[in-house]
Amino acid sequence: MRAGRRLAPYAFALPALALFAAFKLYPILRSFVLSLHRSVDGADTFVGADNYVRLLHDPLFWTALKNTGVVLVIQVPVMLALATGLAVALNSRLLRARAVFRLGFFLPMVTGLVAYGVVFAVLLNEKYGLVNWLLQGIGSDAVPWLTDPLWAKISLALALTWHYTGYNAVILLARLQSVPAELYDAAAVDGAGPWRAFRHVTLPGLRPALLLTVVLSTIGTLQIFDEPWILTRGGPDNATLTIGVYLYQNAFSYFDFGYASAIAYALAVLIGLLGLVQFKVLGDTS
Amino acid sequence: MTLTRRDVLRTTGALAAGSGLTGLAACSGSGAGSGDNGSAGSPDRGEISVWSWAGPAAELRALLPAFNAQYPDIKVTVEDIGNPAIWDKITTGLAAGGAGLADVLHIGVDYLPGYVEKFPGGLADLSQLGADQYKDAFAQGLWATVSPTGKRVNALPWEANSAGFYYRADIFERAGVDVKSLDTWDDAIEAGKVVKAKTGTYLLGIDKPASVPDAANFFQLLLQLQGAFYFNLDGAITLDSAEAVKAMTIIKQLNDAGLVADASGGWNALISSIKAGTSAVLPYPTWFGGIIEETVPGEKGKWGVRLPPAVRRGGSTAATVNSTHLAIAGSSKHRAAAWKFVEFALTRPASQVKIYQEKGIAPALMKAYDDPVFHTPSEFFGGQQKAEVFLAALKAPSPAYNYSADYARALKVVTDAQTKVLLKGADPAEVLKQAADQLARQTGRKVVR
Repeated sequence: MRAGRRLAPYAFALPALALFAAFKLYPILRSFVLSLHRSVDGADTFVGADNYVRLLHDPLFWTALKNTGVVLVIQVPVMLALATGLAVALNSRLLRARAVFRLGFFLPMVTGLVAYGVVFAVLLNEKYGLVNWLLQGIGSDAVPWLTDPLWAKISLALALTWHYTGYNAVILLARLQSVPAELYDAAAVDGAGPWRAFRHVTLPGLRPALLLTVVLSTIGTLQIFDEPWILTRGGPDNATLTIGVYLYQNAFSYFDFGYASAIAYALAVLIGLLGLVQFKVLGDTS
Repeated sequence: MTLTRRDVLRTTGALAAGSGLTGLAACSGSGAGSGDNGSAGSPDRGEISVWSWAGPAAELRALLPAFNAQYPDIKVTVEDIGNPAIWDKITTGLAAGGAGLADVLHIGVDYLPGYVEKFPGGLADLSQLGADQYKDAFAQGLWATVSPTGKRVNALPWEANSAGFYYRADIFERAGVDVKSLDTWDDAIEAGKVVKAKTGTYLLGIDKPASVPDAANFFQLLLQLQGAFYFNLDGAITLDSAEAVKAMTIIKQLNDAGLVADASGGWNALISSIKAGTSAVLPYPTWFGGIIEETVPGEKGKWGVRLPPAVRRGGSTAATVNSTHLAIAGSSKHRAAAWKFVEFALTRPASQVKIYQEKGIAPALMKAYDDPVFHTPSEFFGGQQKAEVFLAALKAPSPAYNYSADYARALKVVTDAQTKVLLKGADPAEVLKQAADQLARQTGRKVVR
C-alpha cells in the first residue's frame, strides 16, 4: 500500500515522460547522431566531426550568422526600447481605454507567422505593393523593399518589430504593474521628475522582465525562419539568409540531413552560450 | 517560435531552446524506403492515391471515368498537393521510409535524381512492372532521365517541355522588327533595343533578386540551347564552362542595355506582368502557351510563338528544358494497380491528347503527336500551328542532362551569381567561377575546367 502510494506520482508522470522521450528527447539525440553522418549513395555513413569542420569553412554559414547577428544587434534593441516605451505608456493612468490599446499592440502576435509574412510580402512588393503605391502617391520613388540587399534586411527588421513588439510590451507591462506605487510617490517626494523616476524606479523594477525579453528575443532571433523564408527566401544574394533558413535549405532542399543537424547543434550551442552570457551580464547577482 | 519561448519560461532558458531546434533537423530517417520487397498487390484491384498539383491533378482526375471503365475495381484518389509544397511532402515521406506517401507521385526532373540518389528504394523499380517495353516511346533523352543506369526505371516520362519564345507580335510589328529574322540572341539584343526605344516595352523579364528558385530558368535555357548544363554526365561541375559564361554574358548584355524587366515576386508577379504587357517576349517552355492564353484571352491574335534564337550563329534552337514524370512509391502496397494507372495515363495516346487539349501540357509520348489536335492552327497564336513548333524541337537531337542529386544546390549558387550580375553588375566569368568553386566545396564534386 505504502509502496503503491510512493509509486503513484511516477505512474501519473509516466505518460508525459514517455511523450517527452518520444517526441523531444529522441529527435534531439537522433539529430546529434545524424550530425556525425553523411549520406553517401543513399546510406548514412559515419564521418565523425566532418560536418562540423565543414561548417567552420562554409562561407554561407558565416553569412547566415552575420545576417542573424545584424538583426540581433540592431532590431532587438530597437524593438525592446519600443516595447519598454509602449509598456510605460500602456501603464499610464492618463491613458483612456487602455485595454483597447493593449489588445491592439498584442494582436500582431496572434497572427499566424505565415499569414503575416505573406501579407508583408504583398504590401512590400516593389511594383504592385500598397506601400510603394502610397509612397508614389506622395511623390516619392518606389522603394525596392524586397529586391535590394539592404532594403530586404530593413523589411525583415520592420516585419519582426511589428510582430514581436506588442508581445514583449505585454511581458514588461505585467512586471511594471508589480512595481509598488509607493516607490513612485517616494521618488516624487524626493523631487524626481518623470525621467528620473523612469531611470531610478521603473528600469530597476523592470530588470527581471527585461532580462527575460532580451533572452527570449535573442533565442527567437537566432531561430528566425518564417519571416525571411516567406518574404525573401533568404535573398537577394543571401542578404537575409538566416541560420534557420540555411538549416531548412540543407535539410529539405538539399536532403543533406547530417549537415543540417550539425547546423542545428552549432546553433543550439550558440544559443546556450549567448543565454548564459546574458544571464551573467543582466542577471540579478544578489 | 512561441512554443520554444514557453519552454524557456519553464526552464532556465537557453539550452532548452537549442534542443527544440536540433529536433527540427532530426526528422530524417535513414532514408531508405521499403524497396521492392514483398508483394506488389493485385494489378486489377485496390485503392491507390496519386499526388500531383493544380492543372495536372485536375487532368489526371478527368481521366478516371475512362480508367475505371477498364479497371472498375481500382479506386483512384488524385490529390492536388500544390507546387512547391509537394516536394517537401515527398521528401519527408521518403525520409520517413515511405510512411504516408501516396502510391503514385508526380515528380519534376529537378527532383527525380535527388530522390533516387538520396533515398534508394524510395521509388519502385518500374522495370519489374513492365516499364521497359516503353523504352522507345518517349521523346529523346527522356529515357536516360528516368533510367540513368539503363536497368532500374525510376519513373515514366509525362510531359516534355521544349524551350520556347512566345512574343507579342503586335509590339514587334509596331517597332518594325521582323521576329523571324532573329537568328541569335545577339540579334535579339539589337532588336530589343529598337523595341524598347519605339514602344517602351522591355524585351523580357527576369526575377533579378531570385525571389523564387526558378529565377535561373532563362540562364538554364541559354545553357541547354548549347547542349550544356551545370553538371556533365559523370557528375562533375561544369558551371563555369565557356557555354555558361556566354549564357550569363547574354543576360548581362540584355540588362546593361536596359532590356530586362524585374520579374521578382514569383508566379503572381509574372501573371500581373503578362496582363500589364511589361515584356515583348516570354522565353518559356511549351506548357507556358496555355498559361498565356488563360491569362490574357483578350489578346487573341496578338501573340506569336517560335523556337528561341540560337546562342551562336548556326547553333541549336531546340532544347528539352524540363520534364515531369510519374513514379510509384517503393513503400506502396498496391504497386501493380498503381502501375496500371500510370501506364493508362502516360502510354495511351488518347489520355495524353485529352490532357493536352485541356491544359496544353506537352506529352513526352511521341505517338500522341499523331493526333490532329497537334496539327491545327491556333487562333490565339495568329493562326500558327503552335504544337508543331515544339514538336520540331522534340524531334531534334537532344542530349540527356544530368541534373544530379545536387541540382537544388547548383540552382542556388547560380541564382546568387545571376543576382550579383543583374543587381551589382558583376563579371559573369568571375561569379560563375566562384559559384562553381562553392558548389564543389559543398558537394565534394570536382569542377571540370
